Amino acid sequence: MKTLEDFTNFYKTALLADLKALERQRRKIISKLTCVIFTILCILGVCLLVLRANSRVAPPFLFIPVLLCIITGAVICYFMTRGYVARFKSLVIQRIVSFIDENLNYDADECIDKSTFMLSKIFTKKPNIYKGDDLVWGKTGATEIKFSEIKAEHESGSGKNRRRYTIFKGLFFIGDFNKHFTCETVVLPDTAEKLFGHFGQKLQSINIFRGELIKLEDPEFESYFVVYGDDQIQARYILSMSLMERIVEFRKKTGRKIYLSFVGSKVFVAVSYTKSLFEPRIFRTLLDFESIREYFEDLQLAIGIVDDLNLNTRIWSKQ
Amino acid sequence: MWVVIVIGVVILLAVVFIYNSLIAKKNQVKNVFGTIDALLKKRYDLLPNLIATVKGYMQHEKNLLREITEMRAKAVSGRMSDDEQVELDNKLSKMLGGIMVAVENYPDLKANENFMHLQRTMNELEEQISAARRAYNAAVTNYNNAVEMFPTNLAASMMGYKTKKVFEISPEQRENVDADKIFEN
Repeated sequence: MKTLEDFTNFYKTALLADLKALERQRRKIISKLTCVIFTILCILGVCLLVLRANSRVAPPFLFIPVLLCIITGAVICYFMTRGYVARFKSLVIQRIVSFIDENLNYDADECIDKSTFMLSKIFTKKPNIYKGDDLVWGKTGATEIKFSEIKAEHESGSGKNRRRYTIFKGLFFIGDFNKHFTCETVVLPDTAEKLFGHFGQKLQSINIFRGELIKLEDPEFESYFVVYGDDQIQARYILSMSLMERIVEFRKKTGRKIYLSFVGSKVFVAVSYTKSLFEPRIFRTLLDFESIREYFEDLQLAIGIVDDLNLNTRIWSKQ
Repeated sequence: MWVVIVIGVVILLAVVFIYNSLIAKKNQVKNVFGTIDALLKKRYDLLPNLIATVKGYMQHEKNLLREITEMRAKAVSGRMSDDEQVELDNKLSKMLGGIMVAVENYPDLKANENFMHLQRTMNELEEQISAARRAYNAAVTNYNNAVEMFPTNLAASMMGYKTKKVFEISPEQRENVDADKIFEN
């Protein structure tokens, strides 16, 4: 694992030169964008004045040019920044990934496929809107890993009743687990027990959509998570006392909602994020170390799951 | 009239539910204990292989190895009560721990492929036994909760169900493995 000091050196020696070039490109884009927006606003102003002068046009129709301007503006923004985003990802994100571990590969446009996402059994609702990017994959130490940013949503109803809710947004990670097992175990954030105590546990045990409720011994772990699985013994074989401690530490480290599952001898970890990961911020300067550090820390967190869960310790039958 | 019938049905359903849940919990305890038994047998089956592999290398631990062989024979003979079985098994765990520590002194043995494979298998088996014991304790706790908490304690006392003991290790086994002490025997 690379320390922050290592990264600071890497930043100064390898990244800074390219960041300066990117910064120049960013400034050009900002100035172009400002011109474009200003032009659009002027055209909009003129349109509105003309339409207002023409008293036959009812007020609702004034919204049409406004809407058109917003759409045009958004489309222009997208096309202008697309090249910049791609360049940023290949110059910055790709290099940080290789810096953390040179055995890892990165693809800015790929993501974990929907079937694998459903295979984890963490989320039971099938998303009908599924997208993601920033796929990282490879072998770090003795563990094969794969992770990407995912946004999975479900849209129901049509027309006026159309509702869209987010099933999951954030980092989705798959790793080769260090023990063989045949059962399926899911570790979900625990809300009921916190609110209702023992009665909450009773409620959790009658959840028919998940397997059996598995009550574990670590009280801190139980306060954060609820575990369902189809085999009481194998679930405890997977969730040893030390792994439970590690999961709690990881949960405290991220401070976010996390979901885990153990299926097919692999471990799936889903970390909820509200922000978009690994995207360049157009309106923030690149030359500020703090903003680049954030990318490093996000990547380090994802790749570090292997060490946090001790997946490289291979003292059982799986190597 | 209807109210009485409805109340009667509700009470009947509650009784059935409580009765069945107590039986289910008792059986779960038996079920997990059975699995522990199976895992322990698996471990006993591995022991001859382990002894044969290390015998050639470990010149100084001959006594220990002989003791393990004797213990195994006793365990497999089936002439022991449950408590004695548990006691023997705990002793065996400690001795195996001692062997694994002693292996550090024999680099040739450590590198032996057969031994390495055995070591992994034994590690896995120990983890599984530990997981099974934890599952047993959870099943017993669940059962004991039902036997002691209201309202299921009423049904439990009527059915003659008593609380069970969780797996405990005796104070002497709570001490950490001390390699020197083991080899003094």
